[in-house]
Amino acid sequence: MTSIGTGYDLSASTYSPDGRIFQVEYANKAVENSGQDLSHSTAIGLRVKDGIILAVEKLVHSKLLIPEANRRIQTLDRHLGLATAGLLADGRQLANRARDESANFRDSFRSPAPVKYIADRLGSYIQVYTLYSSVRPFGISTIIGGVDQNGPSLFVIEPSGVFFGYHGAAVGKGRQLAKTELEKLKLSDLSMRQAVLEAARIIYLVHDDSKEKTFELEMSWVGNDTNGLHVPVPKDLLSEAEQKAKAALEDFE
Amino acid sequence: MDHFPTNWGRPRNDGFDAYGTYPIAQRPYNGLGNDVFSEGVQRTQQPIVTGTSVLAIKYKDGVMMSADNLASYGSLARFKDVQRLHPVGNNTIIGAGGDMSDFQYIQALLDDLMVEEFTEQDGHALGPGEIHEYLSQVMYARRSKMDPLWNSLIVGGVQDGKRFLSYVDLLGTTYSASTLATGYGSYIAQPLLRKAVEGNEDVITEEEAVKILEQSMKVLFYRDARSLNKYQIAKITGDGVAISESRSVDTHWSFADGIRGYGAQTQ
Amino acid sequence: MFRNTYDSDNTVFSPQGRLHQVEYALEAVKQGSAAVGLRSKTHSILLALKRSTGELASYQQKMFRIDDHVGIAIAGLTSDARVLSNFMRQQAMSSKMAFNRPVPVNRLVSAIADKAQVNTQEYGRRPYGVGFLVIGRDQSGPHLYEFSPSGNSYEYYAMSIGARSQSAKTYLEKHYESFADCSLEDLIKHGLHALRETLQQDKDLNVNNTSIGIVGAPSAHEKTTNVSFRILEGETIQPFLDTMVPKDAPAAAPAPPASADEDVQMAE
Repeated sequence: MTSIGTGYDLSASTYSPDGRIFQVEYANKAVENSGQDLSHSTAIGLRVKDGIILAVEKLVHSKLLIPEANRRIQTLDRHLGLATAGLLADGRQLANRARDESANFRDSFRSPAPVKYIADRLGSYIQVYTLYSSVRPFGISTIIGGVDQNGPSLFVIEPSGVFFGYHGAAVGKGRQLAKTELEKLKLSDLSMRQAVLEAARIIYLVHDDSKEKTFELEMSWVGNDTNGLHVPVPKDLLSEAEQKAKAALEDFE
Repeated sequence: MDHFPTNWGRPRNDGFDAYGTYPIAQRPYNGLGNDVFSEGVQRTQQPIVTGTSVLAIKYKDGVMMSADNLASYGSLARFKDVQRLHPVGNNTIIGAGGDMSDFQYIQALLDDLMVEEFTEQDGHALGPGEIHEYLSQVMYARRSKMDPLWNSLIVGGVQDGKRFLSYVDLLGTTYSASTLATGYGSYIAQPLLRKAVEGNEDVITEEEAVKILEQSMKVLFYRDARSLNKYQIAKITGDGVAISESRSVDTHWSFADGIRGYGAQTQ
Repeated sequence: MFRNTYDSDNTVFSPQGRLHQVEYALEAVKQGSAAVGLRSKTHSILLALKRSTGELASYQQKMFRIDDHVGIAIAGLTSDARVLSNFMRQQAMSSKMAFNRPVPVNRLVSAIADKAQVNTQEYGRRPYGVGFLVIGRDQSGPHLYEFSPSGNSYEYYAMSIGARSQSAKTYLEKHYESFADCSLEDLIKHGLHALRETLQQDKDLNVNNTSIGIVGAPSAHEKTTNVSFRILEGETIQPFLDTMVPKDAPAAAPAPPASADEDVQMAE
């Protein structure tokens, strides 16, 4: 890499001569292959007619871990969920900030915060960490989804602080393949249950069996089927989705 | 002589530069808010829009509560569709008498708390016991700042299969009993509730519990000039919380005709 | 002298997106003597190996009580552990104060994990140099968590941290499926066997170098009815040591005195 050893890549507050901020680019690397917590996994989000589905490929780094106890998808408010790829601890930090933002909005206006408002606030928050040498950027790509007065909406925030709305979003290591799969779906026509099955299938598909450790599928949803609450996908539906995903994978191969 | 007419007639203030010896930029401000009381802070001295009694009893299946729908502005029956029973989570209800704006603030406080709790998604929920402890800390902290939330609150619910019923007020005072009543109800309804409930907590059925509360609400409506014959009943059982639609009881006022000070005055 | 350009500052990503200072902090945990934690349906326990600097010195404390229902075992910088455990105690007390509720153990662990994360992102700090095993019991039963300086925390059936903890982990991975239904005595026995794996060849566990932390109903060997967190040390652990299967090495000598402990000493 041309950046190494030039001295222009040691601080977020330094541009390289060609106008790049290498520390932010390195943060993007952390999203894909973070060394410490082995969380080089994929997260996806689906925005369908009646709600949002979030799903993550949670790599299991030890068989001593208690299944389902270590959750990767976080709840920000009754109607908001967040999934990250990258440094796990950064994801928790961001979620705490998001909860504060959402609570502040509630205190000011006595109504649930719009998803876009939270995405906007978090984007600005993350951007600040790209300005100074005294901090490092966030090593995470974030999917935030929820249902507000305008229906379901879904956003992705990158380590640079930029955010975009999506119908189907994928972040982390397997995002390219996941995006290709998401593009094949008629997302706006799917029911929430159908979307859960598709999400499971995509996560199983992008998981690289040959290189990676075993993984656990974690899914959450928010929308009409959940009374507008962001909650984990119930166990029976989750295992049905897993079964179908495995079957589809065998057909695929 | 004070040459500034705007200051004439105001209380004397030795801090004021009566002879204009300072340049304008540094002249002490002598307008309102700079007298000997200016450092003072006014605290809540009284409730403004108020709710009256809340009643609560334990019965066989859980806890039952009632409160009417009136919020009074002094002696004026100002709002007639106020709900004073408020669910918190899936197994707690709080009922409030006293200042209704303070009660709305408390509802917001508890809503924030329940959102925080929900976002943890770890299976730990706040039950009536925790909510009551939290409220008592808030109420006591506020009264210790000489700025109380002007309410009497009853917290009822079911936790770990046990009935919970407890009281907390603007002083931070707490107590528990199998019958509770706030405000006027603590004088008028409480003896009736005790007579009906004490010792029978495990045998009173839902229908009987409703009857006991209906009877007490009726007596309160006859006797309490700040009450309304439109009230709700809430029950909390192992299955969750339910708050009824507004309802009323039959009352008869023919007896009032001959009693001076009770019915309409003809002379 | 640096290993590379990107490892002297915790606010700098390496070109691969790694945080070297955090990785080095994880190494500090491995400098400390080992601790092991296990969980059954009814109990969570901790076992730790204590070191002393010499015959005249006492053994370094490895376990701390946080609240009636929570305790920790540490590996790494003890002074960092004291800061974090004080914070945990404050959290526990404030939960008691505000809600009259023992703080849920997962929230306690998340609270220190979130605190540790800040030290991996902001200038002028270093990541904490200590790892914890946290055990506790709350509404949802007994728990075991690992906390590490990277700001991560995980819940496990069984786990070990500290020097040569990999050997203990290997033992735990072999046996963990049986832990759920273990009696407290059997669970401690498994814990002692796992902890023994972290010792050097000529060493053994003894009443001086071993601590046991327990939450849950007492064992027959304990003279208590206490179900809350307690630390067993000294003679009280002899009955548990006696349950161990002796190492199959025939030349297994009786435990040498503490002065002979040649474990790596941490720079404090």
